[in-house]
Amino acid sequence: MNFKELRGNFRAKKISAKEAVVDSLSKIKDDKLNIFINHFEKEALVNAEHIDNNFEDYKDKPLSGVPIAHKDIFCTEGLLTTCGSKMLENFIAPYNSTVVKNCLDAGSIMVAKTNMDEFAMGSSNETSYFGAVSNPWNHDLVPGGSSGGAAACVSANLTTISTGTDTGGSIRQPAALCGITGLKPTYGLVSRWGMIAFCSSMDQAGPFSKDAFGCAALLDAMASYDEKDSTCTKRRDINFEKSLLKDFGSLNIGVIKDIEKLGINEDVINAYETSKTVLTGLGHKLIEVDFSELSSGICSYYVIAPAECSSNLSRFDGVKYGFRSEGENDITNLYMNTRSDGFGDEVKKRILIGTHVLSAGFYDAYYLQAQKVRRMIKVKFENFFKDVDLIFMPTTLDQAFEKNRKSDDPNRMYKEDLLTIPANLAGLPAISFPNGFKNNLPIGGQLIGNYFGEDMLLNTTNKIQEVTDWHKMTP
Amino acid sequence: MDKIELKNLLLLARINAKEEEYPEIIEKLKNTFVLIDEMQDLDLSDLEPLNNPLELSNVSREDKDKNRNDKKKFLDNSPESDKDYFNVPKIIE
Repeated sequence: MNFKELRGNFRAKKISAKEAVVDSLSKIKDDKLNIFINHFEKEALVNAEHIDNNFEDYKDKPLSGVPIAHKDIFCTEGLLTTCGSKMLENFIAPYNSTVVKNCLDAGSIMVAKTNMDEFAMGSSNETSYFGAVSNPWNHDLVPGGSSGGAAACVSANLTTISTGTDTGGSIRQPAALCGITGLKPTYGLVSRWGMIAFCSSMDQAGPFSKDAFGCAALLDAMASYDEKDSTCTKRRDINFEKSLLKDFGSLNIGVIKDIEKLGINEDVINAYETSKTVLTGLGHKLIEVDFSELSSGICSYYVIAPAECSSNLSRFDGVKYGFRSEGENDITNLYMNTRSDGFGDEVKKRILIGTHVLSAGFYDAYYLQAQKVRRMIKVKFENFFKDVDLIFMPTTLDQAFEKNRKSDDPNRMYKEDLLTIPANLAGLPAISFPNGFKNNLPIGGQLIGNYFGEDMLLNTTNKIQEVTDWHKMTP
Repeated sequence: MDKIELKNLLLLARINAKEEEYPEIIEKLKNTFVLIDEMQDLDLSDLEPLNNPLELSNVSREDKDKNRNDKKKFLDNSPESDKDYFNVPKIIE
């Protein structure tokens, strides 16, 4: 049952919220893929009963009666919030993040929190302190990251919707590798309050579901102006679910010129070419755009994201909350040993890179230059959007890859994000949806829209999904 | 980057590492900078740096106390606290 069917059945009183929760929890408890860090049976049942007892108040809410799993990066009041780290293994959040609160108000029931790369730093879900997540399509492969648990959860039909966050592709890349739909909204559409910070100028929360319909309904719930996040933007009064029915007419869609030069797997390119014919079949016009500077986005990202992370993660010092190393009698040793023992290797590496690029003598060469590359990417997109309404490209270079992948290229994992990072640098919205299969593994395609153009992205993806079946495939 | 530079960097970042781990850490950092340094060839002298995609202006509100957080909840999350304070090792000799 997909999101639309489940919510429809609740509204038609064919299933109660409690029955939906019991069904979801029974599957969650049987999970063999390490998708979850925690599940909350008692709290979920109490919440489901509340919704059932107040049916009239909830029946028209966007997520009425539907179980949801949240990425374990969102603070949940009175419940464990680990961010995939030993540092927060025992952290009980004192308040709900705005995303969690909004989803609760919208009639959903949180059943579990999903596994993730530690502090959202990773593209394979292998940096989690709680172990790697398996891809539902092939258990030897990774689900992508950092929102790997959230994507695997929906892909494996354990819940019909889940939340994720996307700093350099952490919603879109796992959506592609798990064969589901995932949207990174415009920076500032969804509040970051109570979402544990990695790179504050790029972090953005967004929805996962099998299809554009589920993502639209979940985005309706998630997006809200929030005075507690000073980067949160007052949005247009727009209902994303209703915008699926709107007629945007024939669009000009930018497609990547010389795409074969980007090092993308042949099967992914074949799926891309097939999708281009789907787009023209829907009446859209394709216009080639030259994105030869695409790769410099990675260089910029791996300066700016570690720089901001080194600053954001300085709060984890063993004093106010989280892990503390035992037996230290000196404050500097307490800080240093707590952070050495509490953080995993990838997080420590990124803190060191960030500290280095921000230190005296290196700031201009790295941080300032990276910010100029960021400007260049943004200007590039602004020029594209003078001629096109959307840009279409593959989401990833490859399909899902094996755990503990060995590569001659030490930066291979970072290059996973080549095609997703530009939208984060520019703050643009982008959606990944399944657009092909090869060897029983999904492939993802990505549409990038102009600022606050989520309605057009969801509408276009929905139209694609009306004439294709890739999103209906189940592992 | 040599061992002395790494030692200084570790201190700045407040992270400990054993000296025998230094070569591996240096190697990993060097590899990442090979990727990052690809941007050094770009001439971007005429571009302004961009630190936020929406180039937002600051948001202010009236300086009024509201939504005061529950002190106990926060102190309960501390590894060690006493009354209204976080406990740390003695700082002043």
